[in-house]
Amino acid sequence: MSLTDLMTMAKPNLETRDKILSKLKGRELVNCFQCLKCTSGCTALKLLELKPHEIMKLVNLGFVDELPSSDIIWTCVTCLKCVQRCPQKASPYHLIIALRNLAVEKEAKVPETYMKIVSSILETGLAEPPQKIVTKKMEAVDRERLKLPKIRPPKESFQTCFMKAMEEK
Amino acid sequence: MTRIGVYVCHCGLNIAGVVDVEKVAEYAKTLKDVVVARHYTYMCSEPGQSMIQDDIKAKKLDRIVIATCSPRMHEETFRRAVAEAGLNPYLTEIVNLREHVSWAHTHEPEKATEKAKALVRMGVARVRLLEPLEKRKVGVEKSVLVVGGGIAGIQTSLDLANAGFRVYLVEKAPSIGGRMAQLDKTFPTLDCSACILTPKMVDVAKHCNITLLTNAEVADVKGFVGNYEVSILIKPRYVDAKKCVGCELCTEVCPVKVPDRFNENMSEKRAIYIYSAHSVPKIAIINPTYCLRLKLNKDVCGKCLAACEAKAIDFKQQPETMQVKVGGIVLAVGSEVFDASRMAELGYGRFKNVISSIEFERISDASGPTGGKIVSPKDGKPPRTIVFIQCVGSRDKRFHEYCCRVGCMVTLKQAILAREKIHEPVRIYVCYIDLRAFGKGYDEFYRRARDMDIDFIAGVPSEIHNAPNGSLYFDVYDKGTNKLLEIRPDLVVLGTGLVPNSDLAKISALFHASRSADGFLLEAHPKLRPLESAMGGVFLAGACQGPKDIPDTVAQASGAAAKAIDLLSSGEIELEPLKAVVDKDSCSGCRICETVCPFVAIQMKPEIVKGQERFRAEVIEAMCQGCGLCSSACPTGAIKIQQYSNKQVLTQVQAALEEACAEGGK
Repeated sequence: MSLTDLMTMAKPNLETRDKILSKLKGRELVNCFQCLKCTSGCTALKLLELKPHEIMKLVNLGFVDELPSSDIIWTCVTCLKCVQRCPQKASPYHLIIALRNLAVEKEAKVPETYMKIVSSILETGLAEPPQKIVTKKMEAVDRERLKLPKIRPPKESFQTCFMKAMEEK
Repeated sequence: MTRIGVYVCHCGLNIAGVVDVEKVAEYAKTLKDVVVARHYTYMCSEPGQSMIQDDIKAKKLDRIVIATCSPRMHEETFRRAVAEAGLNPYLTEIVNLREHVSWAHTHEPEKATEKAKALVRMGVARVRLLEPLEKRKVGVEKSVLVVGGGIAGIQTSLDLANAGFRVYLVEKAPSIGGRMAQLDKTFPTLDCSACILTPKMVDVAKHCNITLLTNAEVADVKGFVGNYEVSILIKPRYVDAKKCVGCELCTEVCPVKVPDRFNENMSEKRAIYIYSAHSVPKIAIINPTYCLRLKLNKDVCGKCLAACEAKAIDFKQQPETMQVKVGGIVLAVGSEVFDASRMAELGYGRFKNVISSIEFERISDASGPTGGKIVSPKDGKPPRTIVFIQCVGSRDKRFHEYCCRVGCMVTLKQAILAREKIHEPVRIYVCYIDLRAFGKGYDEFYRRARDMDIDFIAGVPSEIHNAPNGSLYFDVYDKGTNKLLEIRPDLVVLGTGLVPNSDLAKISALFHASRSADGFLLEAHPKLRPLESAMGGVFLAGACQGPKDIPDTVAQASGAAAKAIDLLSSGEIELEPLKAVVDKDSCSGCRICETVCPFVAIQMKPEIVKGQERFRAEVIEAMCQGCGLCSSACPTGAIKIQQYSNKQVLTQVQAALEEACAEGGK
């Protein structure tokens, strides 16, 4: 290959790239012109330093060897803002999900905090403990007052896991 | 005895790089009636053409097959060459080996060669049945209709009028001038837009060859190239154009306030008003949806009647229709500005200090709502931080995929104007994706902006937020510094792109001018015929054909004028003979052809047969474009297209299916 990343001496891996593209059913979802709109609005950028445009460019250039084993692909909170706002109808979100699938296929290590959230959801069906809601009369009420059955809250809420992940960074 | 010559073109390597042209020529020699078959690098070149001409004379050829590029490209060239050699030009058949073979099958040279052979075989089969045809000449009207009075329409009209042609300039608005009249300065020279436009507007009004029709629309178009009949609807102004002197006394007394369209609704006018400060013609007009007397249809108000010294106001004015005969039509209907409220995340329409670039233009203009003082529309104070956001509505698959071609330069100009006009300290940022400064003097202009302490941020925000105290803020990731930046601007200017005119669907139907995928009017050929529509005698100028800046618009407008002069100057034009013809005896008068014809070229003529009146189809030759819809729709086979009769086409199909012949048998 004629292209080298001089910081890491990495070379493009077109085979893996094609594998990722096949998961996305073609190039359309990574057809990015680097307007940086996704990164400017990324929910996970400020706390977890996810830069969707960078992932798009890395995949386009073929620097894909590091990506499935990196922690960064697990930081996306799947708010889908990037999908909605992208002027080229590309989708960093779908790319990140494809990379996660590839990571699982390769049996790469999934960050512990992420696994905690997933196992908690598996256990309780919830990512967050039940919240109070505000009625039309501006009263905050919980499940009990609404005479709804009790449910077991998850061991650790998504938000706490998220903050922990941030601290670890 | 038919004597056919076959000529295979290499088109450099365009064809020869894939198709084995030598083999194709050898194969052609084996076909029936083929006297000579040759191949050559460029058949369309002078030596290529004379090769054909020499053979016609020396070998007494009477049919010619040329296997080359698309007939749209060079059919006319070869017909002319054949005619020069004394053969009827319609005895030539073009076989398309480039678009249909070499470009389509680049990776399969052997199969491509086989296909080329088959196409040549089909061409040879067909050419035998071709009939000699003659072109017909018709006279033309030496006058032109120009639709739209923006800078494109103005330039076209002046060029045509100066060349001695009668021009009817139709403008929808009460004044000519269009978009350019709304602009403050023009890039990259910072010429005052009004200073260079108004003299031209006055020239149009004064020119003895131009009939200026403002507040008017084209209602109907009939006829064909060289002989169009146009009816123009002139809407009532309720002011006598001959009496009004433009003193504006009436506008001072009128009590009804109306949003001012010329100022992008940022200020108010009265129900009786003069369109703009530079209005041509400078005649007052009454807005009938707001005027109390016209709206209520009662004898009320009437203050303007009393104020007008010239007694010009006439509430009884009715719409008029004017009929004109013209030889050609130039469409210069321009474009509109993208409605940024469709891009909800940027808050246009919700936040008062988010404005579009055309609104900034009005704020910056001396004749605008603020008298040329750049202030935020929210608090009326000069902004301390201005942000320009690029590519709003353009380069965006959700709205318009094309580049608006003016946004970058408009923003550079506006940023420079803001820097020059605001005397208080002000930070100016431009958030861009790609900065395109491609024209003459444009990149120097970009340099000038950077010299003036205007900051460029490579990246655009995802959304704009409104803080509880009403101020704006947004995050933007900058590619240069690799940092997420927060900006709190007092004024956000959205670089809104140009979009097709909302009237374009109507106009395209009226003039039979088709549109391209982006919604603009489609040129006949993107490179070689950019100034014409596919409809004969209908030309395109300015932003109705695609987004354009002023220099390009003026260039295209002059070009369209030259094209119209080229068409009409000789006083007559030749008509292609490839038209529909009706066999009267087999026509049953079912009228199917009449309904399918997109060019209104078929009329039903009554005829008395055995004492009974019967209708039969008749083709208006000058309007028929030879598209063939009628021929395929006719249930009795009474209509055929010259050179495309059933026999001529089916022989070709038969030749395509003759598998045995592919091996080279006679």
